[in-house]
This record gives sequence, C-alpha cells and structure tokens, in this order.
Amino acid sequence: MSIIEQPPELNFDDFPPEVRQFQEVVREFAREEVAPRALELDQEAHDHFAWDLVRKGHAIGLTRAMLPREQGGLGVGVVGACVAMEELAAACPGVALIFGATMLGQAPVLLSGDNELTARFLPQFSGEEPVLACNAVCEEEAGTDLVIPQNTRYARNVTTIRRDGDEYVINGHKRVITNAAVANFSAVFANVEGSSPESGLTCVMVPLDTPGVTRGPVSDKMGYRACLGSELTFEDVRVPVGNLVGGEGEGLDILVAQGNMARSSVAAVSTGVARHALETAVEFCGERVQGGAPLREHQMTARKLAEMTSKVDAARLLYLYAANKVDNALPAPEYEPAVAKFFADRIAIEVAGDAVSLMGSRGFIREFGLEKVLRDSYGARIYEGTPEALAIAITDCLYRGDDFDDDDDL
Amino acid sequence: MATYETTEQAEHVFGTLFRILIEDETFSSRLRETGLTVRLVHKKPDCTIFVSPDEVLIGDEAPADSSITIKMSCETAHKLWMGTLMMPTAVATGKVRIRGKVSKVLEFVPILQPAFDRYPEIAASSGAAA
Repeated sequence: MSIIEQPPELNFDDFPPEVRQFQEVVREFAREEVAPRALELDQEAHDHFAWDLVRKGHAIGLTRAMLPREQGGLGVGVVGACVAMEELAAACPGVALIFGATMLGQAPVLLSGDNELTARFLPQFSGEEPVLACNAVCEEEAGTDLVIPQNTRYARNVTTIRRDGDEYVINGHKRVITNAAVANFSAVFANVEGSSPESGLTCVMVPLDTPGVTRGPVSDKMGYRACLGSELTFEDVRVPVGNLVGGEGEGLDILVAQGNMARSSVAAVSTGVARHALETAVEFCGERVQGGAPLREHQMTARKLAEMTSKVDAARLLYLYAANKVDNALPAPEYEPAVAKFFADRIAIEVAGDAVSLMGSRGFIREFGLEKVLRDSYGARIYEGTPEALAIAITDCLYRGDDFDDDDDL
Repeated sequence: MATYETTEQAEHVFGTLFRILIEDETFSSRLRETGLTVRLVHKKPDCTIFVSPDEVLIGDEAPADSSITIKMSCETAHKLWMGTLMMPTAVATGKVRIRGKVSKVLEFVPILQPAFDRYPEIAASSGAAA
C-alpha cells in the first residue's frame, strides 16, 4: 500500500464554500424533487425517462459540476461531485447515475487538455436545455476485460476503429450503456483493427446523431430504473480524426485514469443508498413498539443499527478521503478510490438487507420503498469495477511503492 | 541519445520558456488571480523550476514549497512541448505526475500556447537534440 504525501487538509465537517453550497442545493433538489418521485420512477416502464427531472437537475448545475469554471462549469471537483452523488442517491441512485454517467462521458475530454476538443464538446453543458453524455465501454464478450489492464489481453471481438484519411471509422456494438438512449455524445472505447486491445484500445468522442449510430433496446433492469441502460451499434460510423482523445492505442490508459477518477463518486452513490436504508430503519425502529418497548431498545436491534450506521459513516469517510486525493493528484490515485468503492458497494447491500429485515413486512412490500432500495443496492457492484476486479487492483497496489517518488519510472 | 545532456542545458531552456510565459499577460494574470505557484521537477537530468506570477527561480533558488508540483523527465517535457506526446497518455501512464489542485492545473493547459510556439526554437538554439 502506498500512503503518499498527505493531500491538503479536507475538513469533513466544513467543506470548502463552493462544495458546501453545492451540497445544500443538491440536497434540497433531492429532497423536494427526486425523493417524492422515486417510487413512481421505479415502477414506470423500463424505457421511461423523466426529462423534466433532468431539466431541473441541469438548472442547478448537475450536468457541469466537474467542468472548470472557465468552461462554464461549477468547478467543485471530485469532492463536490461525490457529495452531490450521495445526496441524489439517498433519494434515488438511478437519478444520481444519470448525472454521474454524464460526468464520466465528459472525463476524457477534460483529461485530454485538447483545446479544440474541449471547445467542441463542453460548452453545450452550459446551455439552457439539458445535455447528457455517456461512456461506452462494455460489450457482449468484454466487460471486466475492458476495465482492468490485467484482463485486456483477453478481450474478444471488441468494437473496432480504423483510420481512413481524415476520418476514423467505427464498427461494433456496446451494451448496457447508461444514458446511451438519451445522450448527445459518447466517449467510445474501440480497438484499432488488427491490434490486441491491450495495445490498440482507443478513445474517440462520437456525437450520437452521427450517421451509422443506432441506439438499441433499453434493458429492463432490477434497479436504478430511473436511468436507462441500452445498446449502441456503430455501422461504419465516421468521425473526424480530431475526435480522438490522445492517440491511437492510448484508450486503456485513459480508461484507467477515468476509472480512478470516478470510483470515489460511485462509492458515494452506494453510501447514499445505504444512508437511505439506514434512515428509514432508524425512523421505524424508533417508533415501532414490540415486546413493550421501541425496537431500538432491544439489544439485537440496537446492535444492528450500530453496525449499519458505522458502515455508512465509514463508507462516507473513505470516499471523501479518496475524492480529496483525486482532486489533488494526477494521475488520479488507484488505491484509495478502489478501496472506497470496494467497501461502499458491499455495505450498501448489507445495510439495505438489514433495514429490510428490521422492518418486517414493510420491508417486503413495495409501497414502503425499502425493497426498491435493496434492489438498487446491488447496482454499483456492476459498474466501474466489480468487487472481483477491484480486489485485483487493490492487491496490486499493496505491492507497489509511492509512484510519485519512483524516478526510475519517469 | 537523450535530448538534454546536462542540468545547465535543461535549466536554460525551461527557464527561458517559463520566463516567456510570465511575460504573457494572460498567463501571469491568471497565476496572480488564482494565487498559484508551480514547482516543475524535471529528472534525467535534474532541473527544478519554480514559477510565480512575478518570477522564475531555478535550481537551488527554487523554493521547496509551491501550490502545485509537476514531476516529469526532461525527455517527457521535451516531447510534450514539441507536441509529439499527448498529455492524456503522459498523465495516465504516470510520465507526468502532479500534486496540488488538479482543477487549477487543468485550467492552465489552454493558456500555455505561447510556450508551445517558442519551444522548438529555444530548444534548438541550446543544442538540445531534436
């Protein structure tokens, strides 16, 4: 494990003003606009999308939270994005992921430092109308094989990209891509024809109204139903060479950097899900009387509540610690965000399960909302690194030194 | 053959480059507004440059503290300034390492153009290999 030099101090009880203000605005939006509709959105048809809610989120800056101020963004950094994700996810993680996936799609443009690419893709997020983005990685035969470097050599039948004059031509198929059905553009990860994905994976920005792009069926998911995961098919899709992020074959590095930047925000989503379950259980156990006393006065229940709240607080501290490090280091650290997500994803399921059991029948009946939280709690295990993939990444970090001071590797 | 053979050669080129930048009103005023100082730690050979809105300090004169620290080899710096190495790759592969407020660093990238324009001639005039 590498504990590098300490990043600037983050006061967990008193965030920087811009972060605190953004957190308060998002908290109010989540409480007033999202929470009252969470159950309704969960029970809508699987391809229903609440643009009116997205429009309100866009108005408070959720589509441009991480963009620098000079590009029309809020510039709240990863810490700001994370606290916003927790607030949203405590109301509905599906809504949180709509904006989280947009940030993910923006990330390659931000990482590129390419003025021209930035000028073409980022200003649209400051407009009147809401604009969303997505990040197209996963395929039928390549999920984790395109997420962790250790597996990339095994990736098969990956979407391809080839140079043709002043254009790149893309062919292939992506699946379960959040926001693909509704986004303006996507960061697409495709493999240079004839190459192994280990060396040929390439990132290119693709406007989704480009001829040859087909938005496919929306998946009918177990949870996170407010956001849409669907397929993207590319048939001889042509984009300018200027849409490449970095160069050919640099997509894996971008994917790794992007994942390291994003994982603390996913941990924040899981923390929000767990917090929702905890708060529901706390309220219920304070009111429900059995055996002559409120549930919370029974020792077994008290033990459960203590475990649940400890897990939620620990998850929050881990993601904030990771996010603060990401905000203060390039490349983004690998270890801390991976640990934060690895822990938060697990405790979200545990805390939601405990809440359901504490609430008895009310935990099992839809109208009380907790069974939705339990279903949602499984979602974060699937994206930005499964627990199995993160375990490999974390263990690798345990045997590496502090990269910043390793001059041999420069 | 390495692009930079000696510390003196690297200090001359990179020092000149950043003196050009702080004379650019856009760059220096932005540094002043954000209160940023930058410490560039080049390796192979060693070459440390400290940049503030008002001055460029080199080598032993460069203070140890700064709001941003950027570390890379002289070879990587040469490739970045020549435009033959893309920033995403350099950062993602750890060839460029940054400590400090990342968002502030990203805001500066678009205004480095004056240095990009002048670097090839400055490097060539100092005898740095192409």
